Amino acid sequence: MVSPILLGWRHAPAPEALSTGIIDCPRGRITEIVGPRSSGRTSLLHSILAAATGRGEFTVLVDTNGAFDPCSAAAAGVELTKLIWIRCGGNVEHALRAADMVIHSGGFGVVAVDLAEATEAALGRIPSTAWFRFRRAVETTPTVLAVLAARPLTKSCSALLVEMKRRRVRFIGKLLRGAEYELVPRKPTGKDQIALYRAAV
Amino acid sequence: MYACIHAPDAGVLAESFSPWVEMIDERTAVFSITPRQMAAVSRIPRAAVAATIEAAVLAARNFPGFTFLPPGDEARILGVLPVDALPPDPEIFQTLDLWGIHSLADLARLPENGIAERLGARGLWFQKLARGAVDRPLKPRIPESAYEESVELDYPLELREPLLFLIARFLNDLCARLDAQSLAAGALRLVLNRTERILRLPFPTRDVKFLLRLVEHDLEAHPLDQPVERVTLTILPVEPRRVQHGLFIPAAPEPEKLELTLGKIRGLVGVENVLHPRLQNTHRPGWGPAESRLAFRYFRPPLAARVETEAGIPKKLWTRVCRGEIVKIAGPWRTSGDWWRPDAWNRDEWDLALTDGALYRIYRDAEWFLEGAYD
Repeated sequence: MVSPILLGWRHAPAPEALSTGIIDCPRGRITEIVGPRSSGRTSLLHSILAAATGRGEFTVLVDTNGAFDPCSAAAAGVELTKLIWIRCGGNVEHALRAADMVIHSGGFGVVAVDLAEATEAALGRIPSTAWFRFRRAVETTPTVLAVLAARPLTKSCSALLVEMKRRRVRFIGKLLRGAEYELVPRKPTGKDQIALYRAAV
Repeated sequence: MYACIHAPDAGVLAESFSPWVEMIDERTAVFSITPRQMAAVSRIPRAAVAATIEAAVLAARNFPGFTFLPPGDEARILGVLPVDALPPDPEIFQTLDLWGIHSLADLARLPENGIAERLGARGLWFQKLARGAVDRPLKPRIPESAYEESVELDYPLELREPLLFLIARFLNDLCARLDAQSLAAGALRLVLNRTERILRLPFPTRDVKFLLRLVEHDLEAHPLDQPVERVTLTILPVEPRRVQHGLFIPAAPEPEKLELTLGKIRGLVGVENVLHPRLQNTHRPGWGPAESRLAFRYFRPPLAARVETEAGIPKKLWTRVCRGEIVKIAGPWRTSGDWWRPDAWNRDEWDLALTDGALYRIYRDAEWFLEGAYD
């Protein structure tokens, strides 16, 4: 008689991560950055793009509302020659279709989808299956899919969810000198340490 | 063996021996010959035959009459020529003159390592020339041909599919001709009736399927406005792409796939909305190098704002996206520029924090506007 022997459990290896110095974004997964306006979410996105372009990788920013500022991105270290900027004129559907095409094209280090200024009505029309499709599309690639939004959108599809909070604004005399932000990892659970970082003028 | 003719009508004379002729200059032509042609070449007043092209050129240019350089004997025959017979290089000639080197035989006798140390790669090449040892393939001139196909249709085409079928046939023919000449397409020029479309390719290619897809995306983005009666397709020929891959080079998108994807996205969001951002040499807001590392987000176009002021300083702000009391403010910063252009700017800017902690930039031109938010 043959008795079954437990040889051990198979665990999927942890995905390789793109380290920005602030967070480690898992490749082949969705990273979601959420927070209100002026909470440092764009600064964090710039740091992700800077880390990828600094390694010589090509990146894409799908900018739903055309809010991207190349000047401050370049100042944060983003190499603009390795960035493709797609402006979607406020059309969320176009943004998602463009992101889908770019992901399937392959070869990018980071694909960032900026939905931070999209209207609530437009966000409500995104079918939840869209995020499952994105998760499925990136999981076999070395691409970091970064989603920037005012509130969590991807639900269970994201591997990393970071909530950004405003902390302090520094005015010295009549000058704006900088801002401090609070970075709260919401997913994966267990990582409850809060990081602070400061952006200076 | 190669023959070189040095004469005013060298090109015409050379073509009477071989269709593959390399023109060194207007008076010097080189071509490959067979032993049976040797006698005919020897009747030309100024010609030379040698095993290498450069030796034949040197001999034809510098020896009167017909010169034959038997293989292995080039250095001895060319050795009597002065150093000036080599292609001009004043710096090297001056150095050789200082060394007392006046003939090619003197130069050929010098040690190679010493030449390499003192005169570099160019010096070594000169020494090889002096020995008649520079061996290279013939680079025959290729008659220029136009890569163009055109047709005038009996019945106008209204649909895209039959038009693409026709263009595919053109592309097949043109790419086969490019392939035969080891060339690739650098740009496509498609003229439908009298409307011209130029498709600049990001990299040289002769992949028919890829080119056809590009044309298809262009026709999708800019549909036909009238039935097509005349089609002309022209390809600009360029040197093909040479790429060296490396194990440690980060993965990059495949150019063909990326161009097709961007073509589709351009059709979706508009050609002007797919771009590589670049900074310009200006202080115009949003275009020049940033003075701040604080990330900024623009509202494009800027949002009209209503601002309540006290003694000229903003105190309250109302816009479509935010409103509230201003708790901290920095400014005004007056910026202006490009006064000679119709889109000159001249405005006062403020950076401000509202009660909820959000940071914005507003400016006053003729009216108040909310430009964007620090984030």
